[in-house]
Amino acid sequence: MDPYEIEFIGENRIVSIIPNFSYDKIYLICGEFGPFRAGLPMNVPLWLAVMLKQKQKCRLVPPDWMDLDVLENIKEEEKRSRFFTKMPNEHYMVEAKLILGAASEDIPRAAEIKTIIKDIWDIRMSKLRTSMDALMKSGGSYGRLDHLTMMEINSVKPLLPAAMDELYRIKMMTRKSTPATLNTSTFSQSGSSQNI
Amino acid sequence: MTNYLSISDILVTNEKVPCKFLHDLPKMGFLDPSAADDDLKAGTNVEIPLWLAESLFSRRPPLVGVDLPKIYKETYREILNADACTVDMHKLGQHFYELGCYIAKHDIKGEVATTLINTFQQRFRMILSASVSTDSISSFQPLSASERDRTAAAMITEAALSGWLKRGDCPLTTANMVANHRKRKRAEMEML
Repeated sequence: MDPYEIEFIGENRIVSIIPNFSYDKIYLICGEFGPFRAGLPMNVPLWLAVMLKQKQKCRLVPPDWMDLDVLENIKEEEKRSRFFTKMPNEHYMVEAKLILGAASEDIPRAAEIKTIIKDIWDIRMSKLRTSMDALMKSGGSYGRLDHLTMMEINSVKPLLPAAMDELYRIKMMTRKSTPATLNTSTFSQSGSSQNI
Repeated sequence: MTNYLSISDILVTNEKVPCKFLHDLPKMGFLDPSAADDDLKAGTNVEIPLWLAESLFSRRPPLVGVDLPKIYKETYREILNADACTVDMHKLGQHFYELGCYIAKHDIKGEVATTLINTFQQRFRMILSASVSTDSISSFQPLSASERDRTAAAMITEAALSGWLKRGDCPLTTANMVANHRKRKRAEMEML
């Protein structure tokens, strides 16, 4: 899948805005939103928020997790843990990119937040790569994808599943023809799993 | 892979394997370029395509004994089991895994199967680093045909992702201090 498609999916997340205009309810495929009252916070999908922001029609309320202390904690946790930690948001990268791109003046300390989110992303990506390699080496037959976001899963997509398919195919094709007396334990550790 | 019309499978079955003929075959001397006779004598060693070898082998009684191509032999197996990443598969076996699957049943000891799996697991790291490498030519070089395909696919994803990250009003970037941090550099080195 293309990253832009994931961005599109992520754009449906609900965020808070404070509009500076009044308007009736609007009816969208994803639900009804409004009525808009100037100065009163309300929830809209991210794509609508970004659009209104670009037209200078609202102010974005930063999401709870887009806070330096919270992110600092997440980063420390991510560094400490061998496994992936739970992210505050399934589409944290998409949301951060769009919100910080369109409305960085609404977010306190936007530059620092930008940097720390990128750090978290880098830590997770390098962890993802090392665990992919470890998974293949150990010969585990499946990987657990707990707490990985859609964007991260997508980044390993043609490679990891294809490689695991291929490995399985080699195992199946060669096993059929080898005699049963063969020591099979060296290449079938199907029980072992890897946290990836 | 074993699809009848699969091009790569056709290419794989066209690879030559060394065979030993077990019977005298009249009028088949042309198979052996060095033979003077019209007839093929029992005991001649000839390299024939895998598809031919397979069908001659599956006759009852089998007409040929299939030998292992050199990359699957003991010496190379030892190299591969020691460190598969040092081997230039592009030179030694373009279709190493695919051909290996066919060949494995002619290996009495059954060690080819283990070597194939070991090699695949070890060389996965090469695909991984080749897909993010900026020096793509030298990291691409030692990969076999199927590994190259897989690397190319991974590179497309990688490029799409970094393109997405860079685009927009405010690309998210790593802080200089963090990028230059020694620990992080080491972590990246260890990864590759």
